[in-house]
Amino acid sequence: MPIDRNRGTRQDLVFVAVILLPLIILVGILIYFPAIDSLITSFTNENLRIRRLPKFIGLKNYSKLIENSEFWIVTARSLLVVSLTLPLELLISLGLALLLTEVFPGRAMVRTLVLLPWMLPPIVNGFLWGWLLNGEYGALNGLLYQMGIIDEYVTWLRNPDTQIIWVAVVQTWTRFAFPTIILLAGLQSIPKDLLDAAKVDGASSWQSFKNIVLPLLMPSFAVALTIEFIAAFQIFDVIWTLTAGGSAGGAINPFTKTLMLYNYELVFRDLRIGLGAALSYLILFLSLGVAIVFVTRLYNQAVKS
Amino acid sequence: MIYFNKSQMPLSFNHYYIRRIWIYLFCAIALLWAIGPIYWIFVSSISTRMELYATPIKSWFPSEPTWDAYIRLFQGGGKYRGGDVSPTEGLMWKSLFNTLFVSIVSAAFVTFLSTNAGYVFARMKFKGKGVIFFFLMLMMPLPLWVSIIALFFMISNAGLIDTLTGMILLFIVFLLPLGIWLMSTFVREINPEIEEAAIVDGCNRWQLMRWIIYPLSKSGMAAVFLVSLLTVWNNFLLPLIFTRSPDSQMLTVVLSLFVGQYEVAWEDMAAAAVVTMLPPFLIALFFQRFLIRGMTLGAVK
Repeated sequence: MPIDRNRGTRQDLVFVAVILLPLIILVGILIYFPAIDSLITSFTNENLRIRRLPKFIGLKNYSKLIENSEFWIVTARSLLVVSLTLPLELLISLGLALLLTEVFPGRAMVRTLVLLPWMLPPIVNGFLWGWLLNGEYGALNGLLYQMGIIDEYVTWLRNPDTQIIWVAVVQTWTRFAFPTIILLAGLQSIPKDLLDAAKVDGASSWQSFKNIVLPLLMPSFAVALTIEFIAAFQIFDVIWTLTAGGSAGGAINPFTKTLMLYNYELVFRDLRIGLGAALSYLILFLSLGVAIVFVTRLYNQAVKS
Repeated sequence: MIYFNKSQMPLSFNHYYIRRIWIYLFCAIALLWAIGPIYWIFVSSISTRMELYATPIKSWFPSEPTWDAYIRLFQGGGKYRGGDVSPTEGLMWKSLFNTLFVSIVSAAFVTFLSTNAGYVFARMKFKGKGVIFFFLMLMMPLPLWVSIIALFFMISNAGLIDTLTGMILLFIVFLLPLGIWLMSTFVREINPEIEEAAIVDGCNRWQLMRWIIYPLSKSGMAAVFLVSLLTVWNNFLLPLIFTRSPDSQMLTVVLSLFVGQYEVAWEDMAAAAVVTMLPPFLIALFFQRFLIRGMTLGAVK
């Protein structure tokens, strides 16, 4: 007798409610309610430094941010981090994925070790690289000096104009393992026959890479790009210990201030709650496009199928 | 007569070895890039000050390895200035305990809650399923500052600021979407016929969970537990905002307090960094398959 698993009996409804209701309430109270609360706050001039009752000021916070050049500089810097990190990450991860699809003794070990950085705390990675790049005792200086590439030690992180490049390098180091795994899985799902057939037809390995492998990898690239965009756009921890210099309550380095750090500064340092809330909504608005792509993909897989 | 087509043709001896050499060369570069920095932080933490501060660097492994930095860190020793001057000792022990406690408890809760919810989303049909799922998943890609700002005041008013209970509660909520997503994909891989048979035999849903779903999704639950554990352990933003005293601070925050403090020497900071990344490092080394399965599942389909 076929059983209709989806029959909506009372018992099943109770089952669903008992499991989901507590979660819905929890997420509602701790995520969506505060989100609405922040939205309301963003229309007020709440500032904890000044003792006054917050007043409704409409869209003034938003216009203040948009007219302020700092907002645009910080936004451009966040996008710069993204546009430096993504190509670097994808290049490294494509190279690694191609390397790790080769069959050779020791492959499993290399794979395990290469993917390690991704699983470490990003806050440690910032510190780690700060120490590597240290101008007085740094290992990078030591290495380059021994190889004869530099004659005297360089203070890598001192120049404010290039600090953001190092931020992108460390972000790349933190994250490259994830796209590597995605591309590796993509490569392994390419049918061997296809490549063999191309070889029989006399295609060079570059030709078959360009005409078969790359096009078939495009979905994997799309997945990796979406997730890495989100990660790079919301970068915070790595900068905090690499170049932000705000750990002891000091000022946040203006040369590597990205959107997340700017938001932290406005809310928790300057205590300009209204303005900070407005900024958080502008950031939300800026990331909405990628977020919707991300969620739609999950939705199509989980609910529709 | 045997003959090979082009693709089955064995590579010539030379070609084979040249290819191998290239592969290992690239492996060396990849390992230097990926593992070099980790190696160096560990070496720094066991070096003597003399050797570590030598310029130019002479040795890439300490001639007299020492655990002094760790001993200093955990037994009085170096001072740091965070509000007032205090030894690192109390901070390290307390935050180590806090981090362990918070990450294990929250990961356990997340695993349990998301297994149930994952099953519901994978197998049950009910009104509003799509909407609920959408709003849960939306938490993952969006910058959660919109919630955090007001949440800070809510948590303060509830008296949960700077408490481990507050941290655990926040981590559970922030990890739920990922957990639910992963468990729903794991549950979908279970053969539904087993469940149908159980229902025919008169199992109700709760018995079904207890006797069929939990045992069959053990590996999925392990993946969710490990991913959650790692995420909590590695997180910095939430403890930075929602804790302030050493009583409830976590390792990542304590490390960030040391960085840039002249009172804490580089080798002591390196030791603190090694302590902070050791558990994730070991988990990644021994359970990488679980983690990768957990963190990429569904992403590639």
